[in-house]
Amino acid sequence: MFLHQLNPSVKALTIVVTIILLALVFDPITPALLFVWTITLTFIGGQIHWKRYVLYLLPFSILSFGMLWTTLFVGAPSQNLENVIHLFGLSFSYEALLTALALALRVLSVAALSLLFIFTTDMVDFILSLNQQMRLSPKIAYGVLAGFRFLPMMKEEWQLLHAAHRIRGARGNGYNERWKHYKRFAIPLLASAIRKAERTAIAMESKGFTGDRNRTYYRQFNVKKQDGFFFLCMLITFLIACLISNQLGFLKIYPYHF
Amino acid sequence: MMPFLQVNQLHVRYDFSSNRDTLNAVNFELLEGESILLLGPSGCGKSTLTYCLNGLYPRELDGEMQGDVIINGKRTTDYRPGELAQHVGVVFQDPETQFCMLTVEDEVAFGLENIRIPKMKIAKKIDDALELVGLMPFKKATISSLSGGQKQKLALACILALEPKLLILDEPTANLDPMAAMELIETIRSIKVQTGCSLIIIEHQLDGWTELAERCVLLNNDGTIFYDGPLRGAINHKRPLLQKEGIWLPRVANYVLPYHNKTLPIPLTLSAFACQAEQYKPAYWDNNIMPKQTYKQALLVANQIAYSKRKKKIIQNVSINIYHGDFVAIIGSNGSGKTTLSRLLAGIEQPSEGSILLKNKQLASWQEKELRDNIGYVFQNPEHQFITDSVFEEVAYSLRLKELSDEVIKTKTMEMLDNCGLTNLKNHHPFHLSQGQKRRLSVATMLIDNQAMLILDEPTFGQDALSNRELMHLLSERHKTGTTIVMITHDMDLVYEHATRVIVMNQGEIAVNCEPEHLWAKSEKLLQQWQLTLPTPIQLKRCCERRGKNVSTPT
Repeated sequence: MFLHQLNPSVKALTIVVTIILLALVFDPITPALLFVWTITLTFIGGQIHWKRYVLYLLPFSILSFGMLWTTLFVGAPSQNLENVIHLFGLSFSYEALLTALALALRVLSVAALSLLFIFTTDMVDFILSLNQQMRLSPKIAYGVLAGFRFLPMMKEEWQLLHAAHRIRGARGNGYNERWKHYKRFAIPLLASAIRKAERTAIAMESKGFTGDRNRTYYRQFNVKKQDGFFFLCMLITFLIACLISNQLGFLKIYPYHF
Repeated sequence: MMPFLQVNQLHVRYDFSSNRDTLNAVNFELLEGESILLLGPSGCGKSTLTYCLNGLYPRELDGEMQGDVIINGKRTTDYRPGELAQHVGVVFQDPETQFCMLTVEDEVAFGLENIRIPKMKIAKKIDDALELVGLMPFKKATISSLSGGQKQKLALACILALEPKLLILDEPTANLDPMAAMELIETIRSIKVQTGCSLIIIEHQLDGWTELAERCVLLNNDGTIFYDGPLRGAINHKRPLLQKEGIWLPRVANYVLPYHNKTLPIPLTLSAFACQAEQYKPAYWDNNIMPKQTYKQALLVANQIAYSKRKKKIIQNVSINIYHGDFVAIIGSNGSGKTTLSRLLAGIEQPSEGSILLKNKQLASWQEKELRDNIGYVFQNPEHQFITDSVFEEVAYSLRLKELSDEVIKTKTMEMLDNCGLTNLKNHHPFHLSQGQKRRLSVATMLIDNQAMLILDEPTFGQDALSNRELMHLLSERHKTGTTIVMITHDMDLVYEHATRVIVMNQGEIAVNCEPEHLWAKSEKLLQQWQLTLPTPIQLKRCCERRGKNVSTPT
């Protein structure tokens, strides 16, 4: 549960920095190594359910495979006819394969990094920590938190409106009629959303909320040694991955590539 | 002694209603530890006054405020923003929209963080506040898992944690069922004893509050105070005004008044009535309005229906017949499946098991359009059903769907508007009406189709006495012309006065389906188990009978 205990803001920062660094290199080896490392770390330090993880990773895998496929066969045919590879009755150039793998693995790697964050962070903690460490204004932070409660309410409201209008016989067939039907939802839905938001705002203010930064915190988030350790750990892994890639002769740093 | 709160010549006018003041020359005072009831019809400015007292106005007011509100010897405008929260706390009406955090603990902490209580002290204060309202077992629970009554207690705990000297309760029970409301009032009573804070109770329904506060302040529709004094005095001397403004009397008083002996104080509660019960005859409250029904033809037959959502059984084993000309009341505690049942009967939801027949034809095989000509349904929130931009068009809507001639539409619509007392408002936007008018309009849009059956989901919830009376009049007129009415309600007095049959729901099943008289005859233990109370007249009658027996058998 090591990952759960990290400071959410530092965790987010680490992930963002790693993703930016990843975007600067272009080769299949670095993202591949980082991908394996991220998944290992997620499972060791996060104790998450593998079925759920696979389910979340699936759409990214499909996207990544799609990129692999299109880069290999849709792109301009390679001029270099010496390094042609034949596989499963298909033929493509070695360079195209490297580019395709680099792109596909980058997608997977970014996905794994994001999932590491999503699976091990409580959203409320994240927002409270953004407020405390990143100086996000309390007005926005607590506003977003209040908004969390609104989404299920809006869904309920939508279903109710739908039923209520159906009772009135207001349910058209055909696109034009249906469009009219949904357009009629807009005003009541908006009216009730505004009213609810206003009531919540009034209730918050009545409890002494002013949006002032000068407040105490019951759930205090701090930056500890382990957060720095995590940051360095990810950075060093990235560098090692780059070194290995360089040794194998694949590494390309972005500015020199195109 | 200097009063804790002073309101001097307070005027409030909103920008959007520039021709009239919402509050008009309001003056009153409140001593420390004193409690008052603030009463008035819907839309008389009660909530506006609340915002003035807790310092929200004039800061957030789109309009103009004149006069002074002085709290603890200092004007509200002289307090820093947020500072007043430590003096005045407010619990609002809607249990859903008072929170901004996800768990009980965090929500109570939120207020304490705002007033900069150090972290070390917060934990203790949270526990104390939750202890006061009895929510300690739910400290770590998410707010969405609480019931409406528990949410209101949480709202109360959040305020109590700030230890205000004055607690304002803005219709805190309006969205609760009677049992939850009684529990909340009980909680507030014990808090009042423990903390000795002042109370301002803003309410429609007085029952339960009268022992907490003897003094009452009455507001009328113009936002002016027309009475300030003991509640009994108001009932004695201002009764016509109370009736005109649509202010509820305590139920006991309402039923006793016609027979009241002027020399005794008017009983406001049942226990007060018990002390003078020998003055009355049980026969005063014999219910002989309802003619006995002879049922012939079943209009709607539900056979062994069940309904589940997300693998949870909400309705099971329900079989009912609804006959032509019935007035059925569906009662039961919150979450017992009343609303779901009513929606199944109306064909809005489909049962997962069993069948429902309307006029001997499966409900599912009816054409949507024809089904709506037979069954009307009025939702709890009338706004949900409004479709057009004017009151007239709203009523005319379903006639236009039938492609009737303009002439016919006009006469029919005007007749309906006249029946509902909405003729003068026919060009208004439906959203601009008052709560009671909206409710009547939503009923009117259903009645215009002359459906054989009308289903209403708690039509009298949170309304003032006047709108309530008008609505029930409208419904009973309809019932007399042969319309079958099915109504979900919490109000036992309505069941007593109007229903020909009553269905008690308990945990998704029908507990009883009988004539109201037979329900009143059930043992008190059973009624309590279903979270029901007896209607006021029955309670009065029983009380008289008990007294009568005691007197006639002296030892």
